[in-house]
Amino acid sequence: MKTAARVALLLGGAALGFWLWIVLFPSPQKLVLKRISSLAATANVNAADGNFTRANKVSSLISYFSTDAEISFDVPGAGARTLTGRDEIREAAAGGYINLASLKVRFEDVVARIGPDKQTAVVTCTANVRANDSQDTGIQELRFQFRKIDGDWLIVRVETVKTLQ
Amino acid sequence: MAARSNLPRSGFGQRVARDFRLVYFFGTVTQETNKSAPEPGWLQIVLIGRRPKYTLIRILVLVSVVALTTKFVLLPIRVEGISMEPTYRNHKIDCVNRLAYLLHQPMRGDVVAIRFSEPDSLATPKELLMKRIIGLPGENVAFHEGRVYINGHLLDEPYLKSTCDWEHAPILCGPGQYYVVGDNRTMPFEYHVQGRADRDRIIGKVLL
Repeated sequence: MKTAARVALLLGGAALGFWLWIVLFPSPQKLVLKRISSLAATANVNAADGNFTRANKVSSLISYFSTDAEISFDVPGAGARTLTGRDEIREAAAGGYINLASLKVRFEDVVARIGPDKQTAVVTCTANVRANDSQDTGIQELRFQFRKIDGDWLIVRVETVKTLQ
Repeated sequence: MAARSNLPRSGFGQRVARDFRLVYFFGTVTQETNKSAPEPGWLQIVLIGRRPKYTLIRILVLVSVVALTTKFVLLPIRVEGISMEPTYRNHKIDCVNRLAYLLHQPMRGDVVAIRFSEPDSLATPKELLMKRIIGLPGENVAFHEGRVYINGHLLDEPYLKSTCDWEHAPILCGPGQYYVVGDNRTMPFEYHVQGRADRDRIIGKVLL
């Protein structure tokens, strides 16, 4: 009985240690997935959000990108557009937040692949975007490229992927 | 226990009668009322059956079968959007048969579910495209005056209920590529999501 209790205690301790290890030292993949999830949350705008909140959201959004980040969009019906650098991204985000009453963004089917150097990552996902409480949702496959810069995982490139060629 | 402590104290007979009703209702037999084999009450029979252990096993088996079926065999979907109207109305509930193409390849006219990004390991994709196959691998697909031409031959499309004026030069489907398009072609060509889907993105055939 004593041995069983000791084994149980040992196993419990090991499980707790493992859990603490995961929490304190998360894997790069987990960090990147967390980053993507947090990006979606930041991109959301409610109709009740005022200008100050929206401006804060733009600043927060920019912090996810590296200074030389590039966003390349080619959406059916909307044409192709490329934004380069934080300033262009900030301008586009601010313009979008002014024109939109609300925006709901979700990233589904997210897959993160960490590069062999552990300093880069590629994330593929499907963005589900609903603007102005519309019933129609825009669905777009996206590919993000992340790079670890000064300890932070920052987006260096975002591009739309053509699901149908 | 709380119910028993609240029993009326006016007479022994009344207390026993109340006890019996209580016992019968919950299907448990106490020493005071009956020492014979336990007889389940109607509520227990209705809720968990005569043998709770077997009922639990049945529930677990049922839940596992349903979970596995809806994940790997029949994937429940809800149609969002109008690109497949009038065949598939917006918000319609349907199922995707994921085993449809185990024995044969997709065929022309099949309405298929196409995944966007690659889901992680065994995860089921949450977002899917629903389109109809009109072109098979190696075929040229062209649109002229809103009609589809496969390798120069007009394709009969009885499922179309409206006309359009789409014009597009022939597009060659490579090996393992299927040309897919929606049934609702009332919108301009460039606004309609269509094109060549790789075979590995087609996850199944829409059931109904």
